[in-house]
Order: sequence, then structure tokens, then C-alpha cells
Amino acid sequence: MIPFIQTTLDGLMVGSSYGLLALGFALIFGVMRRLNLSYGPSIMIGAYLGTLLYIKFGPPTYVVAIVAVAGSVMAGIYVERLCFAPLGVGAGVASMVSSFAIWMQLEQASLLMLPRHSYPFPSLTGGELWSLGPFVVRPDYLIMLAAMLAMSAALTLLLYRTRFGLGLRAIVENSLAASLSGIDVERTMLKAFALASAIGGVAGFLVLSANQQVTAMLGMWATLKGLIAMMIGGLGSIPGAIVGGLALGVIEAHSQNLFGPQVRDLAAYAVLFVLLVLRPGGILGTTAVRRGMGQRGGDRWTTT
Amino acid sequence: MEAMLEIADVVTAYGKIEALKGVSLSAAKGRITCLLGPNGAGKTTLMMSIAGALKPRQGSIRLEGSELVGLSPARIVGNGVALVPENRLVFPQMSVRENLLAGAYQRNDSGEVTADIERMYARFPRLKERREQLAGTLSGGEQQMLAVARALMSRPRLLLMDEPSLGLAPIVVKEIFGIIAELNREGVTIFLVEQNAHLALQVAHHFYLMEQGRVTFSGNPGELAEDEVIKRAYLGTRRSAG
Ligand SMILES: Nc1ncnc2c1ncn2[C@@H]1O[C@H](COP(=O)(O)OP(=O)(O)OP(=O)(O)O)[C@@H](O)[C@H]1O
Ligand SMILES: [Mg+2]
Repeated sequence: MIPFIQTTLDGLMVGSSYGLLALGFALIFGVMRRLNLSYGPSIMIGAYLGTLLYIKFGPPTYVVAIVAVAGSVMAGIYVERLCFAPLGVGAGVASMVSSFAIWMQLEQASLLMLPRHSYPFPSLTGGELWSLGPFVVRPDYLIMLAAMLAMSAALTLLLYRTRFGLGLRAIVENSLAASLSGIDVERTMLKAFALASAIGGVAGFLVLSANQQVTAMLGMWATLKGLIAMMIGGLGSIPGAIVGGLALGVIEAHSQNLFGPQVRDLAAYAVLFVLLVLRPGGILGTTAVRRGMGQRGGDRWTTT
Repeated sequence: MEAMLEIADVVTAYGKIEALKGVSLSAAKGRITCLLGPNGAGKTTLMMSIAGALKPRQGSIRLEGSELVGLSPARIVGNGVALVPENRLVFPQMSVRENLLAGAYQRNDSGEVTADIERMYARFPRLKERREQLAGTLSGGEQQMLAVARALMSRPRLLLMDEPSLGLAPIVVKEIFGIIAELNREGVTIFLVEQNAHLALQVAHHFYLMEQGRVTFSGNPGELAEDEVIKRAYLGTRRSAG
């Protein structure tokens, strides 16, 4: 029993990093109904800028964190301007394809900055372990868990208690009606994109500081894990992002424990597949997505 | 008569197809101006062009002298123009109250916004009863009232309305037109698209007929026999002639 619980705890801890990544994805998907494949590579730009600074000058860790988040936001805004803004609202597939192209561009830019496969990254805790009775937890991951819960709470407040959130929700429901109500659709979407990238930047920083290293796989890893977690939890749903991230972590931990590390990712995809067949909208997202998709009016007016 | 809205030679196209082929008209300040015309005449296209949701290829749209063409829909709302769109387009998953708040999105006087919401509830008591209900669960007539109230929340100088009677029972239509007349008495300039020529001619001070992207007649109610107006508005002269 104790190993089982320990494995579950490990899964929850790793899962909180997936949940953080999925929050940013869910925000963009929830608002724009669009998939930003360059999400991970944008995080990578920020992380690499932070790493570059770290290995060149060794600044305090909080400076690395600020640079990582700011870099991710800058790259996110670049992606938005290039792939998502110019195409209007009706162009989901085109923006997804172009965000894939930008993925390659951002990865190349990162590798030009730092060409080796891996580099050291500053740790917040020194990587120590805490014992809680028979169980072992890593404070690094507790920080991540706390960050995930705090950010999802903040995001929920933002969406339901502020004017900006009201505008975003109006855009999700009907972008034409939103613009006719005086909501600046383009600016609001850009802000949402910057916010999602900032969440991704925080996620990236926390994950790397827990790993104490950054590798060239970061961009791919962040896009894949965030996307899968969001799909498991529910497309575009904030509680869904958390549930999906934690579920993905636990599934991975147990399948690694039972079948070994090679099977870990395979098991995650298998669960995703079965889940999408049974509940195409994810655990929490089914009705929300169907509603949002069905009633999204206004695309008729954005073609000229 | 001083003009609130002056539209000159506006051409708006969907791809290659010109839906407006050089429209000129004006709406007098403090009055109700009505635009009639058969299906597909371009009435909605004109409303969307004024509101900035469609960009005219050519021509000018002036609000008390200042040009609106080229401004974003949000800026046009900021200039004092609000459109009650065809088919209402309320935000279905938001409460009645949130829909009204969305209409006041650009306003910074939160105390006055709250007071205006109360005024809307006084004018539309059924919205008050349903203030926390999701807008998507309202009846068609209630949704139309909500769409009007949402537009008024921006405190417009010019209220544009695109077929407010669409799909509503006669008794509800009457209520809506009562509200239109009342708003106008309170000083709001109204530019109204309507299929129901009979009702439109009762409230309008001036009307235009539009067919196939062009204004074909302009006059005051009473200048043309009502059945003649109705014939043209529903059928169009070109089609009814043949
Ligand atoms: N998104 C669009 N793409 C292409 N053509 C369009 C589009 N919207 C409208 N049209 C065409 O433009 C013309 C004018 O349409 P519009 O909707 O402005 O007419 P309307 O006068 O409002 O009609 P109704 O009384 O039916 O509402 C029609 O021929 C219509 O088919
Ligand atoms: Mg129309």
C-alpha cells in the first residue's frame, strides 16, 4: 500500500507541472478555440534566455525567473501577431499549421543561443527531499502544486470578477456581438495570449528549476504534455486543466512503476485514446466545448 | 433638419459581390428613420458597415460630421453608436446582468453603470425578474429586450436596430415598438431596419426604401400610399414589375 501511495504522490507532483502547462493551453483554447502548437517553443525561448543569462553572469534565481517569464511572453506575442491575429476569427486550421511552422523557427532560435543538448538551471530548493512519515515528497513539486492552484484560482477570479474577464467570455460566446458591445476583440485576445504565455513561462521555470537542467526537448515536451493534459481534463476548461494534468501525472507514474519507463508515454497515449473515444470533450469539458462550439456566431462577418 | 448620420456613396462587398452599390442617406437628429426593403436588399450589410463590423470599399459614413469609416467597432461604440443586431446575438451563457455589463464595457463610471442597469430593469421589468438567468434561456421577446437594453448601456447618441420584430409574436412586436417610440421621445436618435412596413411607418418620421444594394425611394410616411410602400418593401419594384 505504501509504495502505491508513494507512486500516486509522485504522479500528483509531476502532474502539477502538466496542470500548469495545461492552464495556458486551456486559456487560449477556451478563448480562441484555437490550438497554439508554438506554446512549448515560446516557453523554451524564455527558458533559454534565462539559462543564457544564468551561465554567463550567474544572477540571482529570481532574475532568471523574471527573464524566463518575460521571454516566454515576448515569444508568445510574436506567435500571436504572426499566426493568430492576421487571420481573423474563422481560421482555426491555418493558424494551427502556421503555429507549427513557427515552432521550428523558435526551436532553431533557441539552439542558436545555446547549441548543446543540456545546460544547468538554477534550483529553488537545492533539490532536497522531505519525509512525511513513510512518504517522500519534493518541495520543488510542492511549490509547483501551490503555483498551479494559486494560478487557477487567480484565473477563475479574473474570468468571472473583472471587466477583462467579462470581455473574454463575451468574445468566446460571440465575437461579433462582443465587438458590437464595444469590446476591443483584437486587443483582448492579445492580452489573453500574453497571459497564457506568462503562465507557461512560470510553468517552464518551475519545471526546469526542479530538474536543475534545461534540455533541447523542452519545447516539444511542454506542448505535448500541456496539450495531452488539457485534452484529458477537458478542452478549454480551467478546472479541467488541473484535473487533466494531475490525472496524466498519476497515470504516467503508475504505468512506469508497473511496466517500466518505456511504457510510460505509451500508457498515457492509450488512456487519452480511450478517454477521447468515451468522452470526446475530456473529463470536464464535454458540454462546455459543445456549447461553445455550437453557439459561436459571428464568423460570417469576419470574412471581409 | 440637422443630420445625426450622413451616409454618402457607400459601397460594401463580400468578396467580388457588391451588396451595397453606392448608398447615400441620412438620419435626422432626434428622429426615427426607417429603412425598408426586401430580403437580400443589403439592409443588414448597411447596418454592419455603420457599426464597423464590415469595411466599406468606398464612401463615407459621418456621425455629426466625424468620419466613422475605418474605425474599429469598439471605437464606433465609443463614439456613441450602438447596434441592436439582427437575430439579437445576446451572450447565451451569461446572465442577463452580465449581458448588460458587457454593453457598458467601455464605461468607467461604475456607479452610473449600476444606476443605468436599474433603469433598464425599470423599463424592462421582465429582465429584472430574470436578472440572474442565463440569456440563452430567455424567450425570443425577452432576448430582444435584452439586446436593446444592452445596446442602451453604452449610452448611444445613435441607436441602430436591425429588424427588432424578427420572429416575435405580434403582441411582443407592439411592445418593442412602444419602447422604440418612448426611447425616441427621450431624445435618442434611431435608425431602424424593419420588414414590418405597417408598424415602421407608424413610428418613423422618415423612411427609405432599399433594393438590391441601392436606395430607390425616400420619403415621409403618408407621401406614398402604405400598400405601395409595402408592395415595394416586400417584393421590390424590379421583381414586382415583371
Ligand atoms: N457573408 C456574406 N457573404 C456573401 N454574401 C453575403 C454575405 N452576407 C450577405 N450577403 C449577400 O449580400 C446581400 C445583402 O444581404 P443582407 O444580409 O445585407 O440583406 P438584408 O437586406 O439584411 O436581408 P434580410 O431582410 O433577409 O435580412 C445578399 O445578396 C446576401 O446574399
Ligand atoms: Mg438583414
